[in-house]
Amino acid sequence: MLAHKTFLKKTRRGKILKVVREHYLRQDLHCGWKACAHCAVAAPSEASVEAPLNTPLTPPEVSPCEAVASPHLLILDTNVVLDQIDVLESGHLADVVLLQTVVQEVRHRSSPIYKRLQDLLAQSQRRFYFFVNEHHADTFVARRPGETPNDHNDRAIRRAALWYRQHLGWAVVLLTQDADNRQKAQAQGLIALSVETYVRGLVDQPELADKLAVRAEQAHDLTRPALFPEHWAPAAINRGVKNGQLLVGVFYLSRTNYTQASINVEGRDQPVLIQGLAHQNRALDGDRVAVELLPAPEWRAESEVVLEDDGQDPGDTITEDHAVSGSTSRQVQPSGKVVGIVQRKRRQYCGVLLPSPVPQATRHLFVPAEKKIPRVRIETRQVQRLTGQRIIVTIDAWPRHSRYPQGHFVRALGPIGDKATENEVLLLEHDIPHSKFSEAVLACLPELPWVITPQDESERVDCRHLDICSVDPPGCTDIDDALHCIQLPNGNFQVGVHIADVSHFIRPNTPIDLEAASRSTTVYLTDRRIDMVPGLLSSNLCSLRGGVERFAFSCVWEMDPEARIIQTKFHKSIIKSRAALTYEQAQNRIDDPSDETSVTQSLRQLMSLSKILKQRRLDQGALVLASSEVRFTVDSETADPIDVQVKQMRDTNSMVEEFMLAANISSAKRIFQEFPDCAMLRRHPAPPPSNFDPLVKAGKRQGYEIKVDSGKALADSLNAATDGKNAYFNTMLRMIATRCMMQAVYFASGTIEEPLFQHYGLACPIYTHFTSPIRRYADVIVHRLLAASIGADSTYPALLDKKSTQNIANNINYRHRMAQYASRASVNLHTHMFFRNKKRDEIGYVLFVRQNAIQVLIPKYGLEGTLYLRSDTDKSIAFHFDEDEPSQSCGDVTIRLFQKLRVQLTLDSSNVQHEKLVLRLVEPHIPGFSVEAISDDETSMEEEAPLAGSTPSSKIEANAKPTRKRSSPQNSKATPKAKKGKKS
Amino acid sequence: MATVLVSETEKLYVLHGVQEDLRVDGRARMDVRPIVVETDLVTHTSGSAHLRLANSDILVGVKAELEATTPARPTEGRLEFFVDCSANATPDFEGRGGENLATEISQALARAYQSAHVFDRRQLGVLAGQQCWVLYVDILILECGGNLFDAVSMAVKAALSSTRIPKISVTAVDGGEPELELSDDPFDGAKLDLRSAPILVTLLRIGNFCVVDPTPEEEACASAGVVMGVNVQGHVTMTKKVGSGSFHQRGLIEALKNGTAIGVELNRQLLNKLEEEDLQGYQRPKFGFLS
Repeated sequence: MLAHKTFLKKTRRGKILKVVREHYLRQDLHCGWKACAHCAVAAPSEASVEAPLNTPLTPPEVSPCEAVASPHLLILDTNVVLDQIDVLESGHLADVVLLQTVVQEVRHRSSPIYKRLQDLLAQSQRRFYFFVNEHHADTFVARRPGETPNDHNDRAIRRAALWYRQHLGWAVVLLTQDADNRQKAQAQGLIALSVETYVRGLVDQPELADKLAVRAEQAHDLTRPALFPEHWAPAAINRGVKNGQLLVGVFYLSRTNYTQASINVEGRDQPVLIQGLAHQNRALDGDRVAVELLPAPEWRAESEVVLEDDGQDPGDTITEDHAVSGSTSRQVQPSGKVVGIVQRKRRQYCGVLLPSPVPQATRHLFVPAEKKIPRVRIETRQVQRLTGQRIIVTIDAWPRHSRYPQGHFVRALGPIGDKATENEVLLLEHDIPHSKFSEAVLACLPELPWVITPQDESERVDCRHLDICSVDPPGCTDIDDALHCIQLPNGNFQVGVHIADVSHFIRPNTPIDLEAASRSTTVYLTDRRIDMVPGLLSSNLCSLRGGVERFAFSCVWEMDPEARIIQTKFHKSIIKSRAALTYEQAQNRIDDPSDETSVTQSLRQLMSLSKILKQRRLDQGALVLASSEVRFTVDSETADPIDVQVKQMRDTNSMVEEFMLAANISSAKRIFQEFPDCAMLRRHPAPPPSNFDPLVKAGKRQGYEIKVDSGKALADSLNAATDGKNAYFNTMLRMIATRCMMQAVYFASGTIEEPLFQHYGLACPIYTHFTSPIRRYADVIVHRLLAASIGADSTYPALLDKKSTQNIANNINYRHRMAQYASRASVNLHTHMFFRNKKRDEIGYVLFVRQNAIQVLIPKYGLEGTLYLRSDTDKSIAFHFDEDEPSQSCGDVTIRLFQKLRVQLTLDSSNVQHEKLVLRLVEPHIPGFSVEAISDDETSMEEEAPLAGSTPSSKIEANAKPTRKRSSPQNSKATPKAKKGKKS
Repeated sequence: MATVLVSETEKLYVLHGVQEDLRVDGRARMDVRPIVVETDLVTHTSGSAHLRLANSDILVGVKAELEATTPARPTEGRLEFFVDCSANATPDFEGRGGENLATEISQALARAYQSAHVFDRRQLGVLAGQQCWVLYVDILILECGGNLFDAVSMAVKAALSSTRIPKISVTAVDGGEPELELSDDPFDGAKLDLRSAPILVTLLRIGNFCVVDPTPEEEACASAGVVMGVNVQGHVTMTKKVGSGSFHQRGLIEALKNGTAIGVELNRQLLNKLEEEDLQGYQRPKFGFLS
């Protein structure tokens, strides 16, 4: 039977087409019930390969739901699937018919939910049946004139429900959230219920009700006064944007003050400031929002106040504290208010439950782990079970009358404080793929034992006779670089950098390649490493371990004694590393005059060359910035941290780093020359001058002029700014400078102009990453390009397409950023564990002075904390904030920028849900505010923090974003690998 | 025009019949043969009609497309007629054989529809000075049984009456480029105002008398003819003389009078039938070519 489907379509060029599709109706579609006698065809079998989505229904003997007397089938409306996918996934609903109409509408409305629905349908034990109602001769309904698509779909759903009832002869329950649809269905004699009614009737599964999403219309209670202004309709926003009344940008909540946010609008150099919850108007961090600028007299400066949203549910009120909002006197910024949300960036959030003080209450507050996300009100009847657990919650709606968004519980992760749970939270929060490698990926691994074939030998340069060695941090198992150096008869040196040949094992477009591309980077947590490629490759076949033969991609230079590159050669090779040294071992060998082995000789030559290279680089204006890296000493039994140390930097670190930089630059030049359009490069844009304001201000306070007009000027003025009295001053300046930097990013060379390729921090015009293919996917691409350029490998279409390269680069940039945040969060977590039940007095330095707090840097732990300037006990203690200096004074004590303090560190565990590190002032002593020092034997009384505490290095990339603290974790033998200290 | 071979004796017979007001097929001079018309047969057009007048078989499709307006008439849309004489109709149309006839018919239609009083092109305007609808009226002559002008014009009118112009609204003008939003209901279209639209009536002079709706044999006997566009109000929108012979002044005026009367009646009946068809709704059964 034939019907026609007609619709109008607008083409991209503005033409309007009338499209007519032939629509064939069939009579041989099965209804899905296993034992159906009425259907002309056989029921689809569970094992049938061609229809894996069709699971036969087997209805139960009794009704599981109180609201329906007889056993029944469920038919869902589209809105049920869209709103309540969590309930469907819970596994308590079975014998559900999903109509094609519904599935298609879901597909149009939300692709993530469509994906989840597909997964659901694929699970055979769930008894979800996909019924192609639109092609069934009895259930097809043609659209009527004047009928909206929505009404048409509803009619199709009701028709299918009626057909099922008549066909099977027993009850069919239509679940729909649409009251109108429900009414019409009941008029036709169907049982139609809302999901809420149905789920509450499931007596066996009381906890399922928690998963019900709060629907917008239900959440909007018009009787209560609105706290927030209405959002504009999308059409009104479009109009506003077009005529310039509104701006659209991404909403970023301030890290220190939850009432303040900024919006970066494309094409405006100054972000728009949003102050106050009403002006934020329910936008969440990361949303794309439309803002309206306030009239200029209402513009404010950024507030210096540090504010956290804590305490209990204040009810539905917003108290806008005007003392908190920024003053009008200082540099004002364009300020605005959010009028609508263009695109939501909501996801599921990890966090903890903050139980309501009323014991029997079912409404509770949920506190997300991410501080930038507001608390969420959820409804649950399992408070006892969920207290003390990390849980996942989804935000459903944020009605105008509610102080907090409303959401529902999704699942529990595990007890708070449990390391596995906390790690899981970290990984989920940072969107890090951390599942086990799939079978398909593992199938791509080479078979063991892995041997080098004669064919390999003929294709590769044999470097096994060279005295190659690798230098890495202790405990490193994924060694991706090794070095050698020999003196040539003409007095020059041959220097070789040998990089693990990962692209030999990871072939393009294989499952392992796609997985690695999606992961993009290996993520290092303090006690765990999430590999980009399976362990067999990362720790064995690719790792250039000592004494074994491995494939490498070599970059070999001829350098004159002045370390100038005379000639560069790339080739694939077979190497046999003589030794896998740690930085310390290498240093000891260099320093030991009695050691005359050839490996040591070449290390010494490398060392002297690297010093020339480094000096030349610094002369060109490469920046030396500071960050602190810590390592935890971990208890081998419990894996709990028992000590924290700041990482040591040795000359050998810098030696390896120099050659890696040189190899990266050489390969960048080479691939750009060969593939001007699709080379994967890395750039670090020069920051806009306004970024340096805090640095210049801080320098001026101490009487130094920091010039920021060029990288060279900045490097020079940073070098000049040293303070004899405060040895840590220079390091702190460099740390501030680090925060002024932009983020370095990967890109495809064809996408931007060549002058923009520059790497500001390294002061070189072109740069890429070549040296760590085991842990970075960008390097794998670079390897492939290089291999193609020397004829060692073939290209494939996607490699030569700049768009696809740019897409890969975008993903790598995102994953890379997330990996950094995750590592930091992991260190944070371990710092908290370390301070549990401990109290320490430490030296700290004032890094920033705010209106009601000071940020203190504690070099010993490389951490930065906030010292709130208000007394818990004595309200008479009041600090005076001097904005211009900046300083805080109380009585005759003044605290200035960069001043050395002594602070006491404790972990505030009073709130088990949300542990936080608390700083208290010890010295200078302010009566009534400071705390007493702990007795000497308890605390380490190093008077002077070692300068090496924060290690100057050229690691500007990782530090480009302002962060509360920065570190790269490193750990003891108990854990697989520590991150390398050389990744510019 | 399609030619049939007619012998002198036959011609005389036809001539005498006309004189006696009893034509070869039994009609009087002012009688029209039965007409069968059905609209909306071709689903992917905006409007269509199939018309059968004795052996003349015409299929018309109307396609509405958005295009730029002309500078001279910024608020108006356009009507474009295109006739295709299928070689199926008669072997004479083979190759470029039908071209002259096709041009003649499409020009006659264009002239008949030209006046704003007959068909208001402003109903095709979308955005003044920028966008308008252009109706492409494609006429396919499938079979030739005489009186093509009349048959084609009625089919065109029927097709236009079934045409639905998609509803679009102009949401915004962005950098001079208008943004148009299309209604998502395929049934949601505007009807054209065809209350004054004309049809063509052909009168052929055979001997001293004029006949309407000539058969091919009669066409072969005629010495001259006049084609006129007439709407339901009785306005003559176009006249055109065909054939090599001449008209007497009085005879021409008589012919025009008669033609107007016939045209008004044909228009009225056609409109009635189309309305009747429309009332049957979108689900009416369709017959197409198999009826």
